[in-house]
This record gives sequence, structure tokens and C-alpha cells, in this order.
Amino acid sequence: MEETEKDRNIRILHSGVFTPLRRWATKWSLWPCHFLTSCCGVELAHTGACGYDMERLGTLNMGISRQANFIMVEGTITRKMARALRIVWEQMPDPKFVNVIGACGQRGGIFWNSYNITRPSDIVPVDFFIPGCPITPESLLRGVRAVQEKIEGRDNTTMRFKHVELPSGDGEQEQNRAPTTPKIFAPTPLVRVDVSRDADWAFGKDMVKNLKAQLNGLYTSITITDKNRIAIKTMPENLVETSRKLSDTMGVDHVKSVNVIDVPHERKFMVEYMVSGYTEELMPVILTIFTEIGREAEPEITSLASLWESANYSERELHDFFGVQFKGNEGMKGKFLLAPDTPDTPLRKDFKLEEEHYTIEEGVPLTPAITPPHYTPPSSSSSYSEFELEDLKMPTYEDVLKEAEKNDEFVAFIGPHHSGSGHLRWVMRMKGDIIKDVIPDPGYVHRSMEKIAENRLYIQNVPLTERPNISDPINMNLGYVRAIENALGIEVPERAMYIRTIMAELSRIGAFFYDMGIFPLFMGHSTGFMYSFAIREMVLELMVRMTGSRCTPSFIIPGGIRRDISDDVLDRTRKFTTAIYKRLKKYENIFVYNPVLISRMKEVGVLTREEAIRCGIVGPFLRASGVEYDVRKAEPYEVYDKLDWEATTGDAGDCLGRIFGRLEEIKQSVEIVRQAVDAVQGMPRGGVISEEILGDYKAASDDIRGYLYNVYGNLVLPKGEWTSVTEAARGTVLYSIISDGESNVPYRVRIITPCWMNLRGIIEASKGERVADFWTVYASFGYFPPEADR
Amino acid sequence: MTEMINTLMETVMSNQVSIPLIEPMLDSLPEIPMLQYMVAFMLWKPLFALLICPGLTVGGITLLFFPWIERKLCGRAQWRVGPHEIVWWLGGVIQLLADSLRFLFQEVIVHKDAHRPYFLQFPFLSFMIFLLPLLFIPAGTIVAIQTPYAIQIILALVCLFPLFILGLGWASNSRFAYIGTVREAFMYFAYEIPFIMAVIAMIILYKTSDPLLMASRQSIPGIILNPVAALVFFIGAAMATGRMPFEIPDSDQELCAGPHVEYSGIAFGLIYVLCYEKGYILSALMTILFLGGGSGPAIAGLGELSGVFWFVVKTYLVLTTLYMLRAVYPRYRLDQGLKLGWSPMLCLALIGLAISLVEVGVMAI
Ligand code: SF4
Repeated sequence: MEETEKDRNIRILHSGVFTPLRRWATKWSLWPCHFLTSCCGVELAHTGACGYDMERLGTLNMGISRQANFIMVEGTITRKMARALRIVWEQMPDPKFVNVIGACGQRGGIFWNSYNITRPSDIVPVDFFIPGCPITPESLLRGVRAVQEKIEGRDNTTMRFKHVELPSGDGEQEQNRAPTTPKIFAPTPLVRVDVSRDADWAFGKDMVKNLKAQLNGLYTSITITDKNRIAIKTMPENLVETSRKLSDTMGVDHVKSVNVIDVPHERKFMVEYMVSGYTEELMPVILTIFTEIGREAEPEITSLASLWESANYSERELHDFFGVQFKGNEGMKGKFLLAPDTPDTPLRKDFKLEEEHYTIEEGVPLTPAITPPHYTPPSSSSSYSEFELEDLKMPTYEDVLKEAEKNDEFVAFIGPHHSGSGHLRWVMRMKGDIIKDVIPDPGYVHRSMEKIAENRLYIQNVPLTERPNISDPINMNLGYVRAIENALGIEVPERAMYIRTIMAELSRIGAFFYDMGIFPLFMGHSTGFMYSFAIREMVLELMVRMTGSRCTPSFIIPGGIRRDISDDVLDRTRKFTTAIYKRLKKYENIFVYNPVLISRMKEVGVLTREEAIRCGIVGPFLRASGVEYDVRKAEPYEVYDKLDWEATTGDAGDCLGRIFGRLEEIKQSVEIVRQAVDAVQGMPRGGVISEEILGDYKAASDDIRGYLYNVYGNLVLPKGEWTSVTEAARGTVLYSIISDGESNVPYRVRIITPCWMNLRGIIEASKGERVADFWTVYASFGYFPPEADR
Repeated sequence: MTEMINTLMETVMSNQVSIPLIEPMLDSLPEIPMLQYMVAFMLWKPLFALLICPGLTVGGITLLFFPWIERKLCGRAQWRVGPHEIVWWLGGVIQLLADSLRFLFQEVIVHKDAHRPYFLQFPFLSFMIFLLPLLFIPAGTIVAIQTPYAIQIILALVCLFPLFILGLGWASNSRFAYIGTVREAFMYFAYEIPFIMAVIAMIILYKTSDPLLMASRQSIPGIILNPVAALVFFIGAAMATGRMPFEIPDSDQELCAGPHVEYSGIAFGLIYVLCYEKGYILSALMTILFLGGGSGPAIAGLGELSGVFWFVVKTYLVLTTLYMLRAVYPRYRLDQGLKLGWSPMLCLALIGLAISLVEVGVMAI
């Protein structure tokens, strides 16, 4: 039999006179190259941190491939990342081992029918797969042990699972677990984004009058689509003029989202810009300017990036997705987010994804019959060993190199596998020690959320929406769920609202300590990382007790929460609000107030108010530059208006300001949690799901288990566009769901995550700084690539 | 012939490490023929210094176990345990053995763009050069080569180190290695002058540059006589070893370990211990210059070994402090590091010099 790559490693270990020594040494010195490809990396970080302490096993995290001998592939490998994975694997010295962790790396997990992902086992030989979404740190350690045992030469080349009999309830209940609802796709849906709705909104009516006067002759129609939402329809040739008017006379200064909607049966694309301004009255309002263009091979529209720079990257992204040319945007040549070999224009409706169907197999009641994504590179080779590196694609930057050479600059390609880059690539042009320009190359974790969401039931999208950012899952869910609730006009029970607020704030605290754990690492300060993750571990503990899951609870559903939480968990949460200060103080002393750190952050990466608004940055980072915009204040949702707290703003706009602002913010969060817990404790238990949505299944109002698909399977949203903005940990997350009123799947879901908006801010803030400062700026923005790439 | 052996034996016997504790044992040795000579040779001071302390044995132990101590201590500071499972009843003390053996058996990759001969030579060469200062460093009263210019020679050798790091980076021919190398060069100039000045201050103070004499002239340890010079020396040592606030050339998160990003296998293994080697030598130097070398309360029965004991203890103390900086400080930026070297440290070094001169003057009066 031919020797496989995997056997070769073991043979190397088992040959020569020193075999036992060799085996022993390799076993105890598995240094992983942390290949943090996507969200599972969060749990890997926990494994490395003080809660689980991977170093106990001699497993020292080493970012450099030449010196490591073990890859842990954390989750999804996209087409763009495939080449990086292969290169890293090739760079490592023999013998080397590969563990793939997370469901994504095996059969695609939740992203199984995405157009952009591959299976790691097609690219490198894999020793062990560790299941879970995300994996728990325990199972990750178990994976390390499995490799150690393999090196020892023990026979268990795989982890064996016992066959477990699923508890069989009565027949009806058993069926209730099945997602039996067939998906309904309306064949020729009526897609409208300006369906008018009666809203009790006097200011809006005035504003429409005002707008009509201002935009005389430029608009086709102006509609109030909801409270705080106005849609302006215009002709493509008037788009620029309309926008300029809005910007000049109304003070509209930033773009919240750019969207393209493909309507093939009407032969048109709709292009919409959601804009708003940071003036007091305009803050909660979102104006949607939209227009329709013909659906030709190369549709064209004038770009608004020169007017509102914050639209720039989103336009480039949509160019990738739909092939729409935004004239005037300089990035229309190559691909931006997608890999060079991803199918063209994947978000057009005629690009179809695979559908899942469920089979009833022996013993296992519901097996989704899915075909795992199989990556076939352009050449005829079928397995990794025949792969040529050239078959895997990653963008090259020939012109940048040429230009830099002309200007006598030094260019470094940083990432996507780099100890301090996360999973995206930066092309850094520097002159001496000064950064001239940084060109981002995102998309290494682009998993086509938006396309997948168009192919799943509304309720099936709830777990999907939290995957981009599992360090802040609740807020991601909340945004999506609120858009649905708003569309259906559901009132959420008060108790549920309070619990949602508690969880959202806990999630914010968790995300802060995630970022503040990565930040010290970038500064070379591992103690800060450990302390920070120790605090995060406390938050996760609470999450587990509330929801049963560390990072991916999917606990918030339209109309409420999955089930009520018990009193002792509330007690624990109450205790947490005081206990956290003790650890926080230690953390502050060792890290935040560290003189070296302060000297590195102060007056570095400054964004003035104007610059910050121009780049379109959001969230605490925008507030650090002096804009008092917090969605929780501007457009209060849940119970934020009933609690006593303050939004934090600063005016320095440097790295220090961003960090201190967020630190203040989570102190406020702790206060919010405390107040909310006190309030919940005084309420009667039960009734956490709105009766309106439950319909005939009122019995499920405490606990949705067993009824989920009955209640939610056939959810259909009314026709129109439903936009929600939510203050997530790193800024405003915007969901805009377009429903045709007939299908039980969304027609289009647009997700704008804070990190995606902040990308431009990072670039602007780091220009002209010193090379080492790039990492300070980068980390101060808490950039989380899976969230940005979606 | 016999005469030659006799003279040789005479030199050897006249310069023996005296250890009262094992003397009775030594007396009984002549009954076994060759062993007597071998033991005599071992206890011959220069050879003892070379092979045992501060030379190969203690040096080797430092390289093998000190990283473990560092990892363990950092672990404690960071609310975790550090290496543990490998021999759990000893707290994973042989972790570094496993690591180094693994490196030894691993493939050494020389990539296409590297300058092959230099790429392979430099790790080994620098490992050797880094060992040389040990010849001149006395442990207590035991030293391999005694010269009145020992400190100058040690300094010269220490200042050679960065050249080898530059060589490593240059031979790697990689972008990150290039940036790292340039940074190393910059840092080298920043710390070198104050560092040397601090040493000169001590030479002036003790009026000698023979380490043995220096140690004996420290009835009050140098760190009290001239704390400023001690501070400058310590910061300089942290910069020279690239420890945390100054881990600028090989900053892991920025430059993927800078000059040695391309090294793998045993070549990297050697580079990995290089910085511990450097740390060991500089700590030893600090012990001699500022902490009174091997002086300390004599321990009964150990004889001259008691000096060795105190020397090792003090060196480890300095080494640990140096390495625990990592748990407390993040990294400076290059320009901040340079500024620190060129202005405050230079000033402090001048003050240190002045203090020494004043003290020498006062003592002369
Ligand atoms: S979706 Fe994220 S958490 Fe789940 S397996 Fe994939 S990478 Fe891991």
C-alpha cells in the first residue's frame, strides 16, 4: 500500500536508534501554530488562558510555523484561507500533526452549503477531528491528548463514541423535534423596500414634508416605512444629486449600510444606501435612498464613496457579490472580500445553494443528509498530495509592489497567518519606521452568511447570526430577533426583556474582555491576557448556567427567550456584579495602568471627530472620538430606558481613549446588570415568550423545547424591509431583512457588523504612525475578523 | 617525561579547589590508580571553572531548567500552573528536556532564499561565542583564566553578541527578519554606551578590572556604593537580552520573532537558548560587579565551594528578576526604546560615573 502523508509522520518518529526518545520528546513538546481561522479560535484562546492552561501538557502556543509542529485548524477554512493553510503546513518541519477542531472543518457545520468554504482535510492531511460548534476547551485538550497517544503508537487512531440511545418520548413529541416545515420560495415575489406603515411619529411626518421641499424634482416617492425609517426612491441619475442635497442641507454624514437586492423576474437590481447623521434629531433616523437599475451583465451605478467615505468598502463588497459596478470607486477591479477562485456574483438569485433534506436513518432519527463541501481546485488533482500550491488562490498585489519600489518603500505582507494579524492580511507600506499606507485584504473568514440566510427559515437563522461573533453572541442575536419582532409587531413580555438585557450586557462584558485579552497579547503582555480571560471565564460560567452553552446559546428567539432562568442563577449573577470588581482591579493594575502601556497608547492612532464620522466607525470607538451616539440611548430597545446608566464619551480619540472608554462602558454594564437582576428578582416567574407568537401552543410560554418548529416553522414576515440597529459590544450592528410577504425564508438579509465598519478607521488611524503602533491601533479597535467578514 | 608529568601534577595540585567535606574521601583515593589523577584534574581550578561552575555544568543546567523556572513563575503570576503533566510529581521539571530533544530530532529547513552556509553556521557559531565569557567569570575564587583585563574582555565579547544576531537575520533573507535585524542594530547602539559606562564606573570604583579582586573589594556591595550604575547595568542587560519591555527586535506579534523567524529544528533550539545564555552571562557579570561575587557567609565543610554556592544563588536571583519582567511589562516601541537608551540612560550612566569618581576621591582623602 502506498504510504500516506499521515503515516509518514509516524514513520519518521519510529525510525532510527533513538525511537523511544524521539517519541517521548515529540509527545511532550507539541507546539501548536495557532491557526485561528475563525470563531472556534475564541475557545482556543480560552484553552491557552489560565482557566484551562494548555501549557500543562507542554503545549506552548507558538505563532511561527517554522518552529511549531502541530496545527490546530480552528473551524472554517475558506477558499482564500486554503492557500495560507497549505503554505503553513508546508513550512513546518517534519514530523508534524494537524488537528481540525470545530464542526466547520468536518462537514461544514452550520455553513455546510456556503459557496466559499472548503474542507481542511482536502488541503492538508488531518490527524484528528474534534467536533463541536464551537468545541469546548475540554475537548480541545482531549484532542491534544489524542495526538500524544497517537505518537506513543497506541492503536486508537480515532476517538470512539459509544452508541447512545436517544430518549424516545411519545410519538408526537418525537416528531415535534423535526424541522418538518418545508421551505416556501415564492416564484415571483413582490419585493418592495418602501412599504408604508402607520407610525406614531410626528417628527417623521414633518421631516417628510421638509424632505419633499428640499428634494423637489429629485425623488420619485418618499415613504415612512416604520418609526424612524424613511425610504426615498429616486432615479439612478439623480442619486448623487439627492445624496449631496441630503448631506448639505440635512447634515446626513455617514452611511450605515449599502445594499443591493437582486430581483431577476423584474430584471432589476435595487441599490439602496441607508444613511443617517450624528445630529441630535437625526441620530435615531435611518433614511433609505434607493434606486433601481437594469439587470444586465455589467450593471452600473455612480458610487457615493466620494461623498460618504464610509460607503467605500461596502460598495466594493457588493461589487464582489452582485457584479454591480460602482463608478467612481477605485476598488472595482479585482475582488475584495472573495477569493480569486470563488464563483462570480454568488449573491445573485440565479446562483443556487444546495438544499438540505432530512432522512430517518436506523437508530438516529434525524440525520441531515448533506454533502460536505468538497473543494475541487481548477486542476484535475483530487487529493491534497497532488495539489499544486498554485491551484489555491490568494490575491497578489503586483501593482502595489511596483509602486512601492518606485517610491523606495518597504512592503510587508502581514497575515493571514501571523501571530499578530488575526485572520486577515495587511499589505503594509512603510518608509523607515513610518507607515505610509495599509491596504486591507479581508475575507479570509467570509462564510457567506447573507446567502445562507436567504436559504433558511427565519428561525434557522438565529444560530447563524451569532456565528460571526461568538465572543458577543447575544447582541448579534438580539439585532436579528428585534428586526423580526418589529416586523410582526410583537410585544415581548417584560420579564423576558429584562433577562435579554441582562444577557446582552453580560455578552458585552464578555466581548470587552475578549478584546482586552487579545490586546495585551499584541503588546507582548501575556499576564494581561490571562487576567482578562479569567474574568471572561466568569461571564461564560454565567452563560452556561443561564443557557447551557458557553458561546453559542441561540437563546433569544422572536417573542422572548427560549426558557425562563432560575432564581439561583439570578443570585449568582447578582454576586458576579460585585465579585467582578476584585479581579477587574487586579487587571487594571497590571495592565491598563501599566506605565509602559500608557506611554504606548497615548496620542497614538488619533481619530478626530470629523475623521471618525467620515470613516464611518461605530460604537465605543466613535464615542471615544466625541460623538455621543449610543443606540441604547438614541433609540432605546429592551429596557435600557428604564434603567439608570450613562453612555460614555471621550474626546481624545486615541488608543488610550478607546480603551478607557470601553472600560468605563463595561463598568456601566455591570451596573445595568445589577439593576436588571434586582428588577427580575421581584417579578413572578414564567411567561417569557409572547403569547401573540405562540398561538395555539400557549403551554410553551415558559420553555419552547419541543415546540420550536411548530411555533416558528412557518413564520412569514410582512412585506417590506425591516431594519434594526443594535448596540453590540464593538458598535452598531445593523440587520435589514427584506421579506416578500409570501415565503417563509427571507428574501434578502443584509448584515452590517461593527468590525466591518471599523476597518476603515483602523487604516486611517494607523497611517503616519510607527510600524509597531499598527498593532496598538488594530487591537484598540477590537477587530474580530469573522465578525467583519461575516 | 616523568619530569614533565611531575611538573604538571605540581601545578595541578598547587591550585586545587579545597572542599573539606570530601577531603577524607580524597585521601582514600590513592589506592585506586588512575582515579586519583582524574579527580585531581577535575578539582584543578581552571578546569573546575570550565567544566563545572560557572562553565558547562551550571551553564547547561541553567539552559535546561531556567526556562522551566521562568515558565513556572510566570504561570504562578498569571493564575495558572505552567508545564506540569510531563512528570507531574515534579511539576514538569524536565519540560525543557523534551523541548530540546524534540528540536534536536526535528527537520532543519533551509529555505530557498537563505544564504545556506551562513544560515547554518550562525546559530552554532553564536552559541560558541556566547559561551566564551564564561572563561573569565569567576565563581567565588575559581576562575578558568585569570587576567587583570578580564572585565574588558568579557565586555568585548558581550558586545559581539548582536553582530551574530545581525548575521542570523541577514542570512535568513526574509522581510520580517530584515526588520528585526535593523531593530536589533538600532537597539544595540542605544544600550551599548550606557552599559559600558556603567561597567567603567565600577572599574574606577574598585580600581581594578580583575573580577577576583573586584569581588574581594566589595565589603559593601557595589549596588549600594553606586546604585545608579547598577540600575543602568540592569536596564542595559534587559535590553541586551531582549527581555520584555525591550523585546523590540524579535517582537513575536509584530515580526514573528524577527531575526530568527526562519529557523527550525536544532538551529532554532540553539537560538532559543541563546537569550538565556546571554541572560546567564550578564547576570553573572552583575553579580560580580554589584553583588560581591561569591562572597557570603561561609558554609561549613564546603570550603571554596561555598563561594560557588553564593555566586550561583546571586546569579539566579538576578536572572529571575530579569526574566520576571516579562510578567509585568508590555513591550516598548522602537523609538521609545531608543530614546530611553540615548537620553535617560546615558544621563544616568554619566551620573554613575560621577558618583564613582567622587567616591574614589573621598576615599583617597
Ligand atoms: S461555526 Fe464557528 S464555532 Fe462553529 S464550528 Fe465553525 S468555526 Fe467553530
